[in-house]
Amino acid sequence: MARLLLQDKIQPHWWCKTFIGIFMGLLLSYGLIALFAWFGPDGLETGMKVQFNMWMISAIWLPILTLIYLFKTARSAFIYLLFANVCVYFLFVSLWWLQ
Amino acid sequence: MKIRSDVLRTYQSVHTWTGITTSLLLFIAFFAGALTMFKPQIEQWATPTSLTATPVSEQKIDRLIGQAIREQDKAREGFNVDFVEDGAALSWFAHGGGRGLRLDDRLAFARLDKNEQMIVQQAPSNELGNLIDQLHRTAGIMGKVGHEDLGVLILGVAAALYFLALISGVIILLPTIVKHLFALRQHKGANRFWLDSHNLVGVVSLPFHLLIAWTAVVFAFHDPMYGGLSLVYGDKPLFEPRDRGSITYDLEQLPSMAEYQRQLQALAPDYRIDKFEFTQLNTPNPSLAAYLSADDRMQRGGYHDIIYLHPFTLEVGYSTVTSSEQDVFAPVVNSFFSLHFGNYAANYGRWMYFIMGLLGAFLFYSGNLLWLEKRREKHGEQRKATKVMAALTVGVCAGSMLGIAVAMLASKWLYLLNVQLNQGYLWSYYTVFALTIGYSFYRGAAHSAIHLLYALTAVCLAIPATTLLALIIPSMPSWSSAETSNLMVEVMAIVFAFAFLCAANKAKARAYFGDRNSIWAINMASDKALEPATIPQQS
Repeated sequence: MARLLLQDKIQPHWWCKTFIGIFMGLLLSYGLIALFAWFGPDGLETGMKVQFNMWMISAIWLPILTLIYLFKTARSAFIYLLFANVCVYFLFVSLWWLQ
Repeated sequence: MKIRSDVLRTYQSVHTWTGITTSLLLFIAFFAGALTMFKPQIEQWATPTSLTATPVSEQKIDRLIGQAIREQDKAREGFNVDFVEDGAALSWFAHGGGRGLRLDDRLAFARLDKNEQMIVQQAPSNELGNLIDQLHRTAGIMGKVGHEDLGVLILGVAAALYFLALISGVIILLPTIVKHLFALRQHKGANRFWLDSHNLVGVVSLPFHLLIAWTAVVFAFHDPMYGGLSLVYGDKPLFEPRDRGSITYDLEQLPSMAEYQRQLQALAPDYRIDKFEFTQLNTPNPSLAAYLSADDRMQRGGYHDIIYLHPFTLEVGYSTVTSSEQDVFAPVVNSFFSLHFGNYAANYGRWMYFIMGLLGAFLFYSGNLLWLEKRREKHGEQRKATKVMAALTVGVCAGSMLGIAVAMLASKWLYLLNVQLNQGYLWSYYTVFALTIGYSFYRGAAHSAIHLLYALTAVCLAIPATTLLALIIPSMPSWSSAETSNLMVEVMAIVFAFAFLCAANKAKARAYFGDRNSIWAINMASDKALEPATIPQQS
């Protein structure tokens, strides 16, 4: 494997990446769960689906939190997660309007 | 598998930091958690048979209950019926009762004498199992935040970091996983052997660990998670509000136990009925919690599924017994609980979880050892941070195990001395835990590791010794040690004693004949207790 140049290497940015993972990761998890809760199977049914949704929030959040350090810089982590969040919430709002 | 070197370096840092900050808390949680697999058995072992309810035949139980609710005010509030092989046993709280852990609850037991007259006897409720469970959930950290235990929240954060540690551990292992997974290299030095066994245990039990980490996060933070979810649901409430009752029923109208059993058998045909818990009987909101279990079902409670019935109308309020025909999500959610509790394969499953729990504790201990080895100074004095971490590792790990062992050992003596039982357990644990940490800082990791392992051996051996002694001392309350589940505690204590003895001898060999420039080495010149001539020199 060719040696990586300094600018190609992953930058640590520990605190920034961690905070982005915690807050934007959580926001993204809630966004995905919101899509599933409203427009997934059985719709907004109370009952066990509510509990299932609650469990799934952390099932999405924890892997995001773990893999956030793969982004080269905190900046790129922020941009990608922002993009993902905008997509998910845009989709949610559009579907909500259509309903 | 090739992984970029910067990725490896990044996740090496993630692994080290998440590991070292959480390992000691997780050690306690896993060791205590392994024991909670047998919580009912431990509680049964700890309680003298003379101070438990005597079962009556199922035909007579209704008459006994009738008499109890006529004559005993406390029984009118609520009572418990335990179904055992040879009948059913009646008890109620003479003091305390209700949800949560309390240390000064007293139970009253009723039985019938030869003339069919009710005899009531009181005893403190034994909370040893619940205290071990509390230790498992909080790592022994006391205090409350709102209605949640502080320790639970701290362990929730630790569990999230532990999830990170697991994934990062796998990532840094990927380049060598195929070649080295089953290689336990003993000839390449102790460090390599620890690393190999750490990796092997981690990879082999990875699914178990991922699941435990995730479920522990959910158990700790489900309230805020639901809080966030209610924003998603908008105006729609997450849970249907419970109906409040308006009628207070006459206790004379209470159906017979057989009637409940028929109703429950219809609701959950393949379940055993273990226990009925009647509460708030003399209020407009009476409740019957029926505890049911099945060996081959994924159950939502630690040891049971629960069906809540209205005790007078037999209407089902809430049930954790589910089938996929009613609701796709119910069995899935139940399986998350069940996979944490390990209750889906009877005792085989519990033993598996017990072993995996202990292996988990080993994982965290060995992780700390590796951290210490990495920071070892090859020459001269070890760094202060390393010494502190070594003392803390030995103190916390040995301290939690010794604390539990002493509390279990104290059990029979507390009954004999007739002191506050559950406070006694608590004091035993925390005193021993604090003393152990103090000792390991005072003597340093190398000496204290050996001494504490000997102490663990001695305490573990004293548990079966006390059982033998209990047979001889006449004033001891009687234990029926004939039951196999009860003897198992003694057998396991001996197994643990043997393991601790082996570890003590290994630690001793490491201290005197191992690497000189190590935190585990004992410098013979400074150890006046030992004559230099008696120690063979390392070649």
